[in-house]
Amino acid sequence: MIAETMALTFRALKKWIRNPAAVLPGLFTSIFYLALFGSSFNPANLIPSGFSSTQISQTFGGAPTYITYLTAGVICLILVFNMAFGGIDLVLDRQLGFLNTVLTAPIPRAAIFFSGVAQNLVKVMFLAFLTFLIALVIPNGLVLPAGFGVLNLIGVFGSFALLGLGLSCVFTALALSVRSIDSLVAIVNFLTLPLIFMSDALFPSSSFPDWLKTIANVNPITKADEAARLLIVNGNLTSSQLSTFANDVLYLVGVVAILTIIGYFAAEKALSAQ
Amino acid sequence: MTKIIEADHLTKIYKGKVKAVDDISFAVDEGEIFGFLGPNGAGKTTTIKMLDTLATITSGKAFVAGHDVHREPGAVRDSIGVVPQELTADDELSGMENIVLAANLHHVQGSEARRRSAELLKLVDLEDAAGRKVRTFSGGMRRRLQLAMGLVHMPKVLFLDEPTLGLDIQTRKKMWDYIGRLNKERGLTVFMTTHYLEEADSLCNRIAIIDKGVIKLSGSPAELKQKLGGDILTLELAETPVDLTEFFKGIPDVSDVTRTGQVYRIKLPRTEKALPIIVEGVVRKNIEIKEISFTKPTLDQVFLEITGKSMRDEDASESDSVFQNFIMERATS
Repeated sequence: MIAETMALTFRALKKWIRNPAAVLPGLFTSIFYLALFGSSFNPANLIPSGFSSTQISQTFGGAPTYITYLTAGVICLILVFNMAFGGIDLVLDRQLGFLNTVLTAPIPRAAIFFSGVAQNLVKVMFLAFLTFLIALVIPNGLVLPAGFGVLNLIGVFGSFALLGLGLSCVFTALALSVRSIDSLVAIVNFLTLPLIFMSDALFPSSSFPDWLKTIANVNPITKADEAARLLIVNGNLTSSQLSTFANDVLYLVGVVAILTIIGYFAAEKALSAQ
Repeated sequence: MTKIIEADHLTKIYKGKVKAVDDISFAVDEGEIFGFLGPNGAGKTTTIKMLDTLATITSGKAFVAGHDVHREPGAVRDSIGVVPQELTADDELSGMENIVLAANLHHVQGSEARRRSAELLKLVDLEDAAGRKVRTFSGGMRRRLQLAMGLVHMPKVLFLDEPTLGLDIQTRKKMWDYIGRLNKERGLTVFMTTHYLEEADSLCNRIAIIDKGVIKLSGSPAELKQKLGGDILTLELAETPVDLTEFFKGIPDVSDVTRTGQVYRIKLPRTEKALPIIVEGVVRKNIEIKEISFTKPTLDQVFLEITGKSMRDEDASESDSVFQNFIMERATS
């Protein structure tokens, strides 16, 4: 199954690499959120007297600037939107008949599902990394703590990758289940915004009403966001921060395991003969 | 002769409502080219989809290369190549990359995949275009590439669903040549649907005509034409209130008469005897003959006889559909 999964994944990635323009919409979203949203909605400017740097730091979990806080959230947002709309390629594969060609080949249906998951994950993690770089280079952007190293970077992107993997399972199974792009877009629009707004991607959940806080606390986006943000803001973690980080990662691993199983069975059903 | 495809009382009902295929049975011998003809919506593609495991069978049984389609779909997929009517080769990949991908999906990997791909690209005269992206290919090149993609794992049975749809006559004939050669040189069994009757006539060892999900007639092209019962005289008369159907039927050696307006189609088992009597009879009745034509039986006439529609009408109606336009657009780009 691995050889067939890789063959299908490489096919999708070759197409993606040969069409650099496909990366641009995702890239623009990153730039707009960080440079425009991050600057224009900077909470430090919301009241006439302004917040002191201490107040900003307290409000945003120790982040020295709002964009430092926002970066992890924007990357989560990029993951959600691009995973969701990445399924369009799979719907097109069905509509153009390519999927039927694959279905008449003697390969496990799981190879189609896992190649969908893998190709989306690679594409979106690349965008996530570009977003991180953009946050670093824009004026008044991401400020990394002293001593932020490779291990921290691995921890940050490991958290994002776990979230991405879970999301990719859900949206790949969804894309394989629908028959038209319209249906996919309708469902995706219904799912993505609540997922983002019911997390602390854009604002700390401490300011949310209790009911929303409860939902945000179990939202995997909040967990990935929190884990990545802990490292982005603090670099080396204290033992209590490390414990929070470890809990978030374990939670994400559990979510990924559940979503992989659900996605796998949903895709198997969607790909079975009708 | 070994039966390589066997369909036994196959029925397909979609969503519990639409009966696309209704209790059909047939068998295809190993090494034969079997043609499936029928109007749009007759059940041709649904039959292929059941045989190539894409669609479930509502009732009945089917065996391909000795494997039960329902119980051993994996073994069936191992034994078959499928060339769909849609142009499914990936536009952004080269011809070689597409065919290597098809090989990889059939457990042919590495240098063996590349070797077979190169050999097949040569067979379909695409070796010079192997490195070009498929989006630069003409419709005919795409069809040839798809044919090669369906063969890269050396299947026992090749399913071709409208393999020459949207191609000009020259390219179509080239495709027939490839299919014929594959059948003769490699002993490949081919199960094909087509809209082009001359294609079925020249390529197929046997043909089945399906209409409204039911096989109406099957046999070799020669047998089918023989079943028409003779030559056909088409007689167009000037406007007259007189119906000559019974008059024609009363003439010895006239086996059947159908009338559409002032046009009579008269079936003649022995033309040389009946023709003078018919013409003389019409002249005596002082009715002007506007046009008279005489044809040997063709598959188009067999088709018309069985389905009540000419294949040309089918072509015209199909070209109106959005899907068909889409296929044509890709095929001719």
